[in-house]
Amino acid sequence: MKLARIALAIGLVAALSTAAASSAAQGSRASSTLKIGISLSLSGDFSDSGKAAMRGYNLWRDVVNAHGGLLGHPVKLKILDDTSSPTQVVSNYQNLITKDKVAFVFGPFSTLLTAPAATVANRYHYAFIEPAGGGPAVFGEKLHNVFFTQPAPIIDSADVFAHYILSLPKSLRPKTAAYPSLDDPFASPIADRVRTLLEKKGIRTVYKTIYPAETTDLAPIVSKYAAMKPDLVVGGTQNNDAYAQIKAMIQLRFSPKFLFFSNGPNDPAEFPSKVGPQNVNGIFSSGDWFPQSKAPGNKAFVAAYAKKYGKGPIDPTSPEAFAAGQVLQLAVAKTHSLDNGKIITALHKGSWPTVEGVLRWNSIGEPQGSDLLVEWVHGKLYPVYPKKIALHAPFAPKPPWGKG
Amino acid sequence: MHLVVQACILGVLTGGVYALMASGLTLVFGVMRVINVAQGALVILSAYLSWALFTHFQVDPFLSVLIVAPLIFALGVGVQLVFIRSLRSEQAEELSLLITWALALGIEGVLGAVYETTYRATNTSYANSAWTIFGYQVSVVRAYAFGLCVAVLVLLYLLLARTRFGRSVRATVQNPSSALLLGVNADRVRALAFGIGVSTAAAAGAVYGVLYPFNPGSHYDLISRLLSIVVLGGLGSVAGAVAAALMMGVVEAVVAVEISPVWSSFSYFVVLVAILLLRPQGFFGARERTL
Repeated sequence: MKLARIALAIGLVAALSTAAASSAAQGSRASSTLKIGISLSLSGDFSDSGKAAMRGYNLWRDVVNAHGGLLGHPVKLKILDDTSSPTQVVSNYQNLITKDKVAFVFGPFSTLLTAPAATVANRYHYAFIEPAGGGPAVFGEKLHNVFFTQPAPIIDSADVFAHYILSLPKSLRPKTAAYPSLDDPFASPIADRVRTLLEKKGIRTVYKTIYPAETTDLAPIVSKYAAMKPDLVVGGTQNNDAYAQIKAMIQLRFSPKFLFFSNGPNDPAEFPSKVGPQNVNGIFSSGDWFPQSKAPGNKAFVAAYAKKYGKGPIDPTSPEAFAAGQVLQLAVAKTHSLDNGKIITALHKGSWPTVEGVLRWNSIGEPQGSDLLVEWVHGKLYPVYPKKIALHAPFAPKPPWGKG
Repeated sequence: MHLVVQACILGVLTGGVYALMASGLTLVFGVMRVINVAQGALVILSAYLSWALFTHFQVDPFLSVLIVAPLIFALGVGVQLVFIRSLRSEQAEELSLLITWALALGIEGVLGAVYETTYRATNTSYANSAWTIFGYQVSVVRAYAFGLCVAVLVLLYLLLARTRFGRSVRATVQNPSSALLLGVNADRVRALAFGIGVSTAAAAGAVYGVLYPFNPGSHYDLISRLLSIVVLGGLGSVAGAVAAALMMGVVEAVVAVEISPVWSSFSYFVVLVAILLLRPQGFFGARERTL
């Protein structure tokens, strides 16, 4: 571990010094600014996340410019608003590439917008390093210029929970399970994967359902599976339906031994206020980034973020965007080149240390790592599995509501 | 059986809240033939106001109704006086759709700018408590919400049935021209009725925030439900709206439990279509007289 860190440090120093050397060699031309184009949802449905991505990108720009830019060129970001629209995002990238002639592009927010945007970038042979398009629609295009800067594709995000359950001695494992999931390409497939893994090892499915997105009232569904008293509840969810299920469970006085939701409990800022801080303990979720994560450079990132934007919760979209910048920075340093083709080739090999962990990709841009399993312990969210990244041991069974 | 009864309890409690929102909508339609598609947005606006009062000043959401409802009432009267009154009566139905739709989008836009798109929920200390009655769990907030809705509906009923103002409202619903001839101040009745109609949204909005997370875009889902409730109950009939809302709540909850949540909204719409085929005027709607 220590050796690896030293090696990494040497590598970074070497990279920076070569960058400095080459900038010196290039003389006056090197000081010209280098434009990077990004389309973000600064208005519309995804504007909160779009702005979080912008904070991450801007912070990266400050950091990279403080270290001499890319091969000596100061970096300037050209950010256009796509109003959360998948058609606007296409024309934005068209304009950035053909009119503004930006040197590089980074991805927008969400799979919905990343999929069409990646196709545009691919047409012009631009590398498409993107922080927020991790759904099947993006990888389904099988583009070789895509690099998703999170540890795992979204639908694999709960595999880590299945691995944790199966790591338990048989006597402690749950015997029965319920899988209530949202009808959404980012939700129900996550739970399906967990179900397949657990069924294979003999954990019996007593209930599964997929409820439509417009279901605001989840109490009837919860009352149905509560009556079957499963040991484990795994929900492929977005935030709201997870909150609603938990509230209904509390009201129906049903507390399973293990409880996992793919989204909702992994939001440290919102979750306690939505279900009550006394009810969070023992609930599992998974995620790609946490403030206390031991990923390379994360501590410095968190400090720099607090300095620029103030203390307070960090939306994971910000470090995801920051990581996209880091990946480009490392690739430029490694190839000594600002050529998109060379960067694409380089990124398909090796692994890349970022605040999102050490990333590597297959040929279509799917990251080959694993998300972190997180659990609420004494009112705080901790990474608990796999062991090497854990900041707290996982605990089970879940205490009753209001306890622990 | 246990599950079905539990589902019916949940359904009735949920239906009560929808009944309140829909009663205002149907009242407004009855009095002035205005389909207020901003009703859902006003519910969400009220949910935000009561959330803000709770978060910043610790005002209980059920008490905040006393502050939010008059504000929304004033807003409603203002909107009626400024925008809706000037419509010529033969176009009022169509144009009012546009105006109230613009109002809905305006409210959504302002809320989006002020509060962003993050989902909010009003979490009181009793938000997750429940009573156990004969082995059935009855959520405290849902019961309170239901109680509040019943109370407001009773007030609304008394206002319409027992007061002079109520008589003028009903007269205007039944026959606007005769009401006018008999000295009813139709403009005043319309403005006040619009105000009252939207303040039911305010009361329901305060409790909506306690029951469900909401964001500025939540009103689209709401208004489609509310319109279907109003149509099923019979346009203009408050009692019909209440019956239809309760039916929707129960059908959806029972289907979700007994069959699958996938079919719950769908089966409500099947019932809606079936009833409209048999009774095109809805439960309590007056049959249109044809010549």
